[in-house]
Amino acid sequence: MIKKSYATEIEDILSRYPTKRSAVLPLMHLAQQEYGYMSDEAKREVAEILDLDPTHILSIAGFYTLYYEEPVGRYVLEVCNDLACALRGADDFLDMVLGKLDVDLHGTTDDGLFTVKNVMCIGACDRAPVLQCNLKFHEHLDEAKFDALVDQWRSDSAEQTSIVDQIIAGRTE
Amino acid sequence: MILEILKGLGTTAKHLVRPPVTIQYPEVKRPVRYRFKGRHELKRYDNGLEKCIGCALCAAACPADAIFVEASENTDAQRYSPGERYASTYEINMLRCIFCGYCEDACPTEAIVLEHDYELSFVDRASAIYTKEMLIVPVPDSGTSTPQQVEAGSFDRAIPDMEDPK
Amino acid sequence: MSDLVSINVDGVDIEVPAGTTVVDAAMRADIQIPVFCHHPKLEPVGMCRMCLVRIGMPVRDRATGELLKEPDGSVQYNWGRTLQTGCTVRVAPGMHVVTNSAEAKDARDDIIEFLLTSHPLDCPICDKGGECPLQNLTMAHGGGTSRFNFNDKLTNDKSVPLGELIYLDRERCIQCARCTRFQSEIADDPVIAFHNRGRHLEIVTMSDPGFDSYWSGNTTDICPVGALTTADFRFGARPWELTPAATLSPHDAAGENITVSTRREAKSGGRVVVKRIMPRQNEWVNEIWISDRTRFVHHFAEAADRLKMPLVRKNGQLTPTTWDEALTLVAEKLAATGEQAAGLAGDRLSNEDLFMFQKLFRKALNKNNNIDLANKRLAGGDVTADVGIASGSNLGDLGKGDTIVVIATDLHEEVPIWWLRVKQASERGARLIVLNVRETRLDKHASFVMHYAPGQAIAVAGNLLEHDEEVATAVRDADNLVIFYGYEGLSYDETDALARTLGNLLLETEHVGRPNNGLIAVWPRNNTQGVWDMAVHPGLTPGYRADRNPGLDANAIYAGAESGDITALYIVGADPVGDGLMPGRGALDFMVVQELFLTETAQLADVVLPAQSWLERDGTFTNGERRVQRYNPAIQKVGDSRPDWQILAQVIEKITEGSEKTPFAASLVFSKEIAKSVRAYKDMDYRTLGQVVEQFPKVGGDDLYYGGTSYANEAGIGQQWSASAESKKPKKPFDVPELDVTRPAGLVLLRVAALYTPGTLNQYSELLHARMAKPTVMLHYADADQLGIADGMSLVLRVNGTELPATASIQDGVPSGVALLRGFAWRKGLESAEIVKVQTPITA
Repeated sequence: MIKKSYATEIEDILSRYPTKRSAVLPLMHLAQQEYGYMSDEAKREVAEILDLDPTHILSIAGFYTLYYEEPVGRYVLEVCNDLACALRGADDFLDMVLGKLDVDLHGTTDDGLFTVKNVMCIGACDRAPVLQCNLKFHEHLDEAKFDALVDQWRSDSAEQTSIVDQIIAGRTE
Repeated sequence: MILEILKGLGTTAKHLVRPPVTIQYPEVKRPVRYRFKGRHELKRYDNGLEKCIGCALCAAACPADAIFVEASENTDAQRYSPGERYASTYEINMLRCIFCGYCEDACPTEAIVLEHDYELSFVDRASAIYTKEMLIVPVPDSGTSTPQQVEAGSFDRAIPDMEDPK
Repeated sequence: MSDLVSINVDGVDIEVPAGTTVVDAAMRADIQIPVFCHHPKLEPVGMCRMCLVRIGMPVRDRATGELLKEPDGSVQYNWGRTLQTGCTVRVAPGMHVVTNSAEAKDARDDIIEFLLTSHPLDCPICDKGGECPLQNLTMAHGGGTSRFNFNDKLTNDKSVPLGELIYLDRERCIQCARCTRFQSEIADDPVIAFHNRGRHLEIVTMSDPGFDSYWSGNTTDICPVGALTTADFRFGARPWELTPAATLSPHDAAGENITVSTRREAKSGGRVVVKRIMPRQNEWVNEIWISDRTRFVHHFAEAADRLKMPLVRKNGQLTPTTWDEALTLVAEKLAATGEQAAGLAGDRLSNEDLFMFQKLFRKALNKNNNIDLANKRLAGGDVTADVGIASGSNLGDLGKGDTIVVIATDLHEEVPIWWLRVKQASERGARLIVLNVRETRLDKHASFVMHYAPGQAIAVAGNLLEHDEEVATAVRDADNLVIFYGYEGLSYDETDALARTLGNLLLETEHVGRPNNGLIAVWPRNNTQGVWDMAVHPGLTPGYRADRNPGLDANAIYAGAESGDITALYIVGADPVGDGLMPGRGALDFMVVQELFLTETAQLADVVLPAQSWLERDGTFTNGERRVQRYNPAIQKVGDSRPDWQILAQVIEKITEGSEKTPFAASLVFSKEIAKSVRAYKDMDYRTLGQVVEQFPKVGGDDLYYGGTSYANEAGIGQQWSASAESKKPKKPFDVPELDVTRPAGLVLLRVAALYTPGTLNQYSELLHARMAKPTVMLHYADADQLGIADGMSLVLRVNGTELPATASIQDGVPSGVALLRGFAWRKGLESAEIVKVQTPITA
């Protein structure tokens, strides 16, 4: 129950908006951070806090790619393969990533570390192939750089970012 | 003039020795043309599923209002045809049918075909109504009879994919 | 009225109200701009792009404001750089719209081509095929070929149930959002929504049960493709095979107009059966919407256990017999009984039935006034006859400056279409005052809500002008004032006092006698108003004239049957034994029951006469707004049943030995008898009731894409009869009887309505079984603690020796000191039941 365990954070988030329903995105991030993904239970909890219909939360979770409706690995690798990126070799890069990690697209590795997804434009076409891992961008990638990144992730030394922390800290950038 | 008479008699004489054109129907039956429009048949796919999906477009196209269709829903446990819908009742009133073949044209799955049986005779009106059991063709050797029990999701398209005819 | 703006569409000058969209404006001039996502009842979104048109505005000189001219002297237009969506652009003075140019046609062709890229084209098996906007518009505008690769077609799930009532076909959806917008804008149940994006977009629901709304069926009407279809009609027939019959909803006091689609069915042995129920447009009653109860509860009419033959008790057994024998027996017995005969009628009957019923007693049985409504719950028909909502009213006209008061009723559960229209009036700016013992769905839309203690309804209504300054102003200074009142938590006598109090309020604030002002009773049934109008009442004769020799009322009749003062009882369309009003036959010598089913009452009768349901016959109902509406037969009669009015007329004929002949048709009962006896009905007959006027939005026709598949009204919009305050003024205040409204100490039990209450008619619609309101006792925390009742505990309600199982539910919204009983059919004594905890064995 995020309502109980994050009472102060929820209070803080709600206080920033004129109407309750405006707080839906940050609260969904909060719920996702708690449960790892937007489970049905998480959706219903957020809906209850905001007096919305759970269907509304489901709809938002489906619209934004940063909300995961299935359990994901510790690192979610999102590769953009829209047209501009594809022209710079994003498709091949994505295939390479899938092959290296031995995982299907949108699947999670057996060790539960990595989930690989393709996403629509993330606004870094000039630096393609680009990969977003837990909100952090890795640009101009090739096989060698990717290997290095994987080693870093596996050794658990990668910097972790939390949207919720950023929201609570009042990110202004 | 005599020449003409002889020529005419010659034709007669020629036909005297020819075999007769009269056919001893019904002992002997004359073959029909490939495109002859006789009694309808409801076809099956090779696996035994019925082609008819109960869409009633044949009934809509029929100028004589001879066809009556009622549809029901397929399930994977009781599957009659591919897709969601099948004809649970299918009747053609042969007294009304004018064998125009519009039903064939209207059929989206090529289920109804006017075949070569033209021997339709009835002693009362009720027997002129051909039911689905009478119209549907036997199950082919390669198939099983309907309703079939099939694996879930194996036949979810009612209308086989057809590309644009070129 | 809002200002008119004149614009020019395709060379035609038209005048439309300001704020109209270009598509709606063109539609008023019969110029059809094709649309998919736009719906005249919904806010525009511009999602489908089908309505692309060229829009030009006259150019003015910036400095002088003068219109600029072309060299040839004509007005100069700025035609914009691109085509614009006609559904999102509002009209402006001087606007020129070109809908039929080559570029607009090209644009439409392209939109159709795009829409069809992933459409499955499985029209042959689609329930919408034949009345499908996408089909129609493809025929009218599509290019005929596609430049897209067929193999790129996306395949997706078919027949996904969004709950038991509505099926979704994900492939067919063209993402117009009409359904989701209807649910959030109109029905206020945003339980369906879009999920994902682009080609993967689909409609989802997370409610429990799925698509939990009383209005879900309407989304299938406005869906421009076959993406949403109802489970009831699923593969039932092709639309062109159906025969429509214009009729009315028999379920509630609003009298929703419906069209019943029928077809001869082999499965039913060649009978004509109901395939579906669709809304029929009546902008004064239900617009183009109907509730799901109206749409899905019709199966009772074709139930296998309908009575098919007259039954007469012989040697203690009800035995089938002929009509002649049964009717002769009834006539003989009634004639012999005379004064000691009494009659009870139900309020589901038509006006013709009710008129014949009172005629049987008053005329054939020589001024016997022992007749009444069998199940009296809500009084005030005499008050609505005086100060009821005036003729010419339309709830859809209420808005800014107007006030609506709703007291002691839960419109959402009782008469959903009124809930919808009151809610919309409040959204248009009308002030809404909701008064009830408990929270209701309407509270959310109200500008003032008050939850009074049980029994205080009359006091609250009487003090409405003193209680709160804001409320008093809203009521007193309202341009128009409409008051809805019901019977929730009130006894019959209390509702009578409440109606009179409210009548006085209307008189005092002078909100009577003009359109959109007056009282509306939220009657428990479809024709309770008709019971009053036809004077099935011991003290009134038709036309609201008091009778000098009043007969016995329902309570006295029940007591008389018990004591032997009444020896013969004629019951039509009511089940007093099942309703707990009558313990049994008592001392009755003779009992006749005229019914659809062998009810508990019918089982005790000497003669049971099989009546026809509303679907098999014609007649008229009078709704809560006193609109008399006509309905037509849709199916063949079941068995050898007869319409109620005919049976009664035949009994009259037999008693009077032929001097009162049985009328040939219901229309003659209306025109020859009702119109002559009932003053308010004097200008009506079946022809005037069948008159139609042009309505907007236009529905039906070939523009199925515009308003949806609601049927156009070709069978009559009915006539609202004038309340007496419209012609006679001023009116004396009503006498309000002094009543003791104190409730006994302790927990007050209060039955609340539920749309799907288990009952005789609802139970035949299997589709709705999962949605039936479970018998529940809703309690406040404190009361539950005190009684030692836990949430979910099994209970039993003991009502006069009958035990009704129930479940306890502890809820926020329940006022303390009150137990709300939901999901129980109305039953006498229910509100004085004893709540007993069931000892459930503890399982290991």
